[in-house]
Amino acid sequence: MSRISGTRLPVEGQIERRLVTLTVLVMGVWLVLLFRLFYLQVVLGERFRISASQNSVRTHHIKATRGIIFDRNGEILVDSRPSFDVLVIPHETGDLARALQRIGRLIGLRAEELRERVGKPAGRARFQTLEVARDIGRNAQARVEARLYALPGVITQVAPVRDYRGRNSAAHVLGRLGEISLAQLQSRRYQHYGRGDVIGTEGVERLLDADVRGRDGGKNLLVDAHGRELELLGKIEPQPGKHVVLTLDRRLQLEAEAALDETGDAGAVVALDPRNGEVLVLTSRPSFDPNLFAVGIGWDDWSALRTDPRTPLHNRALQGQYPPGSTYKVVTALAGLEEGVIDDDFRVHCAGSFRLGRRRYRCWKRAGHGDVDLHRALVESCDVFFYTVGVEVGVDRIAHHASALGLGVPTGIELGPEAAGLVPTRAWKKRRFGERWIEGETVSLAIGQGFNLWTPIQLASLYGAIGNGGARYRPFVVKRVTDPDGRVLRETQPQFVGSLPVSAHSLAQVRHGLRGAVHDPHGTGWVMRRLPGGVESAGKTGTAQVVKLAKNPLGKDADIPEWLRDHAWFVTYVPAQDPRIVIAVLVEHGGHGASAAAPIAQRVAATFLANEGELHARH
Amino acid sequence: MPAIDRRLIQNFEWPLVGLLLALSLIGVVNLISAAPETADWFPATAKRQFYMLALGLLGLLISLVPDYRSLERYAIPIYLLCVALLVAVLVVGPVINGSQRWIVAGPLRLQPSEPLKLGLAILFARLLARQDTRSELGLLELVKPALLFAIPAVLVLRQPDLGTTMLLALLAGTFLLVARVRFSTLLWLGAAGMAGVSVAWFFYLHDYQKERVLTFLSPERDPLGTAYHAIQSQIAVGSGGFLGKGFRRGPQSQLDFVPEQQTDFVFSVLAEEWGFVGAAFVMLLYLGFIVRGLMIARASKDLFGAYLGVGVCAIFFWGGFINVGMVLGVLPVVGVPLPLLSYGGSSLLTCLIGTGLLMNISMRRYIF
Repeated sequence: MSRISGTRLPVEGQIERRLVTLTVLVMGVWLVLLFRLFYLQVVLGERFRISASQNSVRTHHIKATRGIIFDRNGEILVDSRPSFDVLVIPHETGDLARALQRIGRLIGLRAEELRERVGKPAGRARFQTLEVARDIGRNAQARVEARLYALPGVITQVAPVRDYRGRNSAAHVLGRLGEISLAQLQSRRYQHYGRGDVIGTEGVERLLDADVRGRDGGKNLLVDAHGRELELLGKIEPQPGKHVVLTLDRRLQLEAEAALDETGDAGAVVALDPRNGEVLVLTSRPSFDPNLFAVGIGWDDWSALRTDPRTPLHNRALQGQYPPGSTYKVVTALAGLEEGVIDDDFRVHCAGSFRLGRRRYRCWKRAGHGDVDLHRALVESCDVFFYTVGVEVGVDRIAHHASALGLGVPTGIELGPEAAGLVPTRAWKKRRFGERWIEGETVSLAIGQGFNLWTPIQLASLYGAIGNGGARYRPFVVKRVTDPDGRVLRETQPQFVGSLPVSAHSLAQVRHGLRGAVHDPHGTGWVMRRLPGGVESAGKTGTAQVVKLAKNPLGKDADIPEWLRDHAWFVTYVPAQDPRIVIAVLVEHGGHGASAAAPIAQRVAATFLANEGELHARH
Repeated sequence: MPAIDRRLIQNFEWPLVGLLLALSLIGVVNLISAAPETADWFPATAKRQFYMLALGLLGLLISLVPDYRSLERYAIPIYLLCVALLVAVLVVGPVINGSQRWIVAGPLRLQPSEPLKLGLAILFARLLARQDTRSELGLLELVKPALLFAIPAVLVLRQPDLGTTMLLALLAGTFLLVARVRFSTLLWLGAAGMAGVSVAWFFYLHDYQKERVLTFLSPERDPLGTAYHAIQSQIAVGSGGFLGKGFRRGPQSQLDFVPEQQTDFVFSVLAEEWGFVGAAFVMLLYLGFIVRGLMIARASKDLFGAYLGVGVCAIFFWGGFINVGMVLGVLPVVGVPLPLLSYGGSSLLTCLIGTGLLMNISMRRYIF
């Protein structure tokens, strides 16, 4: 064995005595710890002992109240109300089935129903509080409370439950609640959440869950075998959630929803403030009542909602992608202007149809518009004019300008998920269908009837930028987050995305045309002329054909079956100079934009101006 | 590779191995209870601890082959490596729960302040073993060890990890007691220590750390806030009673009312489920381990081995004392893991290597 350098001295006598002392010290310290252990567990422990016939420590979770959601004027959109709940601790109830039967009799629910909710708790679940019934009402809870003495292991509690004041109003913005899923629990976003936590699963509730949820509290109680509380051992107060102020205007929102509902059709309305991107109205109909989810939705209600053919859970304003119809003509116009196809002398003769190869494409006005310039083409929505421009510019150049205007990608509203819409190109078609682009498809595309798609919010966003002179803002709905005392914690700053890359001259021509579409003779948007105070507006109608470019064989609109009728669009900004609101309306299968969608936009605009007047009068 | 001496096998340190296995296996079983609510009978944390234990035991066996005395030569490189790792933590370590304690490499997480405890023990053992043993140590001779202690201690304090810093200080203090130090010097050191504590209090401690100490001194200060950990853990321990609630039946811990129940507060889970009988049994195993370690140190053939043995025992003793004292409410809440029982690979490996060192010393006590 090799020699190892280093000091090698006999240990004896050197530190031996000290080591003995050390050993004694260690034993002494351990004795103190053992005494303490004995004191806690054996002397005090009797008080804490879990046993059916003795006292026990019981843990209550105290739910935090979620923060209030306000509209821009401080009106409450979502609040909390008390829910009266009954819970059991299976370990303490003795015969669980009998306990549930008795509870059921008291609150008027069948015992099987309660058993289904509680399940068959085993293992550690037997020591936990399990929910038997929620939101049973004050009276039913009082009946249970009066008999608690005979119901060991049964607990009543008052817990906050979400109250969506407007029921199905703005449901897609506000969102809904649900129990956290296993997949979510494992994700990074929810790393601080636990099983059984209720979280926002959609909308603002989801977006700001971390702010709004607050922090649950809890308390430990010493209770006797009958569940009587003997002593409060410790308590953590729950912390209420933060408040949220949205950019929505509740009155406008309600007006838009009422107007849309009167049509009886599905649809969406989006209104923005073009000066900063604040969302004033965002609605999708039909809607749902988030209150159903707040208490825990029943299986029947849930499957009814999910299988409803009118898809009330679908947010049409953000995720619905539709052919734009004539509202797309501004894109074709701007492309034509920027490409130099449309100059000041550019005229097209519309004889009611456009010929390309062997096919004829009709104008909506079969008699034709005669000689049309850009202004009249926008005012009267002449199809032949834009067919001509479209074919001259070509699909890929139109796509280039559409993308430059911000189409084909989500607007970036924080609410998400949001559809991107579609800006078709030759390459896209090759990729998607493996087919060559046909020139005739450019013709349809020029008037918004081809493959191109956009969402209502994209439409509102684009027209807002056109209206305000070319500045694009990212739409947003969360104005600010405040603490429960109202101190501002976060304020959303408007986000300037960029300028429309078109010349001032082009933009001015298009805006002039859009104003004319409302105010000139034969303007398709004439409905918008009726605004309080004679305020001028600009707008564009759109009618997106559901049955492709086929001449309607059945005659008048009213005779056409609902699902074959066209989608109606209308988009407007008010006032025409320096607009303060831009409104996009979609009515699914509503028929013509001028007759079905424009009146809704007119009502929203009128309400907006009336409210403004009221505000001015107050200040 | 050196041939394995037959005497090594003959003198194999069975008692210590037995205590080690008992404690660490109880630790794994206890982690099954301490894991967050799951239907899994063998939760991920307990499983990982088990694999780490198996791996560490293998390493321990291999570490018995070389003579512990070669460590004396490598004491300084080992120390420097530990310090380098601590610097790396502060530079590249991710911030987790407000502190930087780990180096993360893919799935592996190393907490360098754990092996540092051993590194420091090895270094001190070397320094003391080389002192002239006829005279007592004066203040001047202590300057060098003090500096060598201060560098890593400050780095750990910066993480911030008050618990481990305290543990390092107590480890160093233990060496001071065992070494022959002049009485006047001890007095001076005492005074300096007091001064150091007050400086730390006013300049270094975070508010939450001060709050914890103050709450310990008077729990009624804030029963719902800082004292919460202490109260919850005492209720958990107390509700275990004499015989305990039984395996996986501890509702107090099961409801996640005891915080950090897998790491700093594992002992409360054990005490709740196995009662006074189980908790006292584990405490006695622990005591047995430390006393056996001190016996090994006493029987060591050289000073380096003796001091090293004391150092390893000190790591176990202070870790156990501070942790259990905190759980039982006799010491303030400072985050210190319970050796062999708390969840955490770095801590477990450090304990296993430390045990290996003790066994190494014991098995070579007759080999010169």
